[in-house]
Amino acid sequence: MQALLSFEQAPPIAAPFRFFLTAPLFAILAGTLLLWSGPELLASRWTPSALALTHLITVGFMLQVMLGAMIQILPVVAGANMARPLLVSSLVHAAIVPGALLLTAGLLTSQPLVLRLAVLLLGIGIALFLGAAGHALVGVRSTNPTIQGLKLALIGLAVTAGLGMLLAVARDGSSGLPVLQLTAIHLGWGLVGWGGILLAAVALVVVPMFQITPPFPAWFAHGFSWSVLAVLSSWSIVVGAGWQRPSAVLAAAVVLTVAVFAALTLQVQRRSKRARFDASQYYWRLAMLCLLAACALWFAADSLPALAQRQEWPLLCGVLALLGGFMSVMVGMLYKIVPFLVWLHLQNLGDGRVAAPSMNKVIAARQIDRQLYAHVASLVLLLAAVIWPEWFTYPAGIALVLANVWLLYNLLTAVAFYRYQRLKMVAPTSAIPPPQGTC
Amino acid sequence: MTPSNADIVIDGRGLEPPEPLVRTLEALDQIGPAETLLVLLPHEPYPLYRALKLNGFSWQTTRRPDGTVEVLIQHQPQ
Repeated sequence: MQALLSFEQAPPIAAPFRFFLTAPLFAILAGTLLLWSGPELLASRWTPSALALTHLITVGFMLQVMLGAMIQILPVVAGANMARPLLVSSLVHAAIVPGALLLTAGLLTSQPLVLRLAVLLLGIGIALFLGAAGHALVGVRSTNPTIQGLKLALIGLAVTAGLGMLLAVARDGSSGLPVLQLTAIHLGWGLVGWGGILLAAVALVVVPMFQITPPFPAWFAHGFSWSVLAVLSSWSIVVGAGWQRPSAVLAAAVVLTVAVFAALTLQVQRRSKRARFDASQYYWRLAMLCLLAACALWFAADSLPALAQRQEWPLLCGVLALLGGFMSVMVGMLYKIVPFLVWLHLQNLGDGRVAAPSMNKVIAARQIDRQLYAHVASLVLLLAAVIWPEWFTYPAGIALVLANVWLLYNLLTAVAFYRYQRLKMVAPTSAIPPPQGTC
Repeated sequence: MTPSNADIVIDGRGLEPPEPLVRTLEALDQIGPAETLLVLLPHEPYPLYRALKLNGFSWQTTRRPDGTVEVLIQHQPQ
């Protein structure tokens, strides 16, 4: 067996892992906030605690996983090697973790100073990442739709972060900015321009690769990211200009493209050659069904004024898209990415003399299955809490904490496995005790 | 080098990672100085390219109309 990696080319395992291990902590905080705030949190999407909860999931959980995954994915699927990946990861991580915590605190307390500090830290962290990723992608030809999607997703991240920082600074109400319109555009770019384009770009590779399916249709692979970006940009301009009718039509077009992505992914997944679905595949299926449900609910609220007036529908849409859609798919992917990285680095460490253990041994399948059940329970309970907050808010908070403590435990198990195997490889003659529990 | 007369062929399409990479690396140990290895994959294998470069192999990549990526590998000329 030949050597696999050179340290100049491949990010060290610590570069993406710091993001992956931090992500569940933010989801645990989100559950804790739900318990601390109680049913009042779900009175509307605009309550300070609902905004804080949303950003614990998006800027906390999702951004951590997305940046960590991009640092790893850029060299693997695009051949784009980030310069000094460990240093970039350390600096970005050191900026966005306190940035996300301060943003949560600022949204809860409406303290301008706290929000400005959050903007500063998040701005530095995201700008650093965009610079490093953009530099790695300069000169990389878009030979496949995934590379194109990764490049366009970076534009989505820049717009989302820029608008978010503007809104955070304008939160004291003194700016005179059209906050409602800007919030809508920020949300649209965050969910679709950044999250949706990145998810679809990655799905084009990882769904066929890990789930043994046929490829996505060429028309979708080549057209999705550009179409979404074009429609989203047009919609943003029209919303900014205050043109009601065209903005409704373009918004419907954006939601429809998301629904097409989710439906196509489900269709491709149905043709998987795997004899039996694993937890990661169920996570993908759950995510796509939730995205479809969120789109359907959006269209229902758009056409039924009685539903549109209710406070619950945007919250239901949010829970379905964020917890059901994005979080599910990210957890499902972590269960593939993390064992693969452990295997890859161990294999490299073995240097042809010692073969790395199988990927399936890194995290036990039954532990992943159980965590999946806990995640589904937290999703169902949070959806129920939106409709019946007095009954279900506290169970939903507990379930969200439990599901993510479990996720963290599973990821730490992988780290412990890596450390134990690495020790065994570098000191083959010594008797090394097996790992106890986690790290 | 041409794909049609490769000495060893690995069809990695339909195999879950890291199996195509494992089989390719094992096959690299077997090919002689003048022999060629052909790997068929559903996507471009950038990590494999890095490993090939690191271990002194040269390669040639072509894309079939059906999206299959063909990587034809041999030892770098001394």
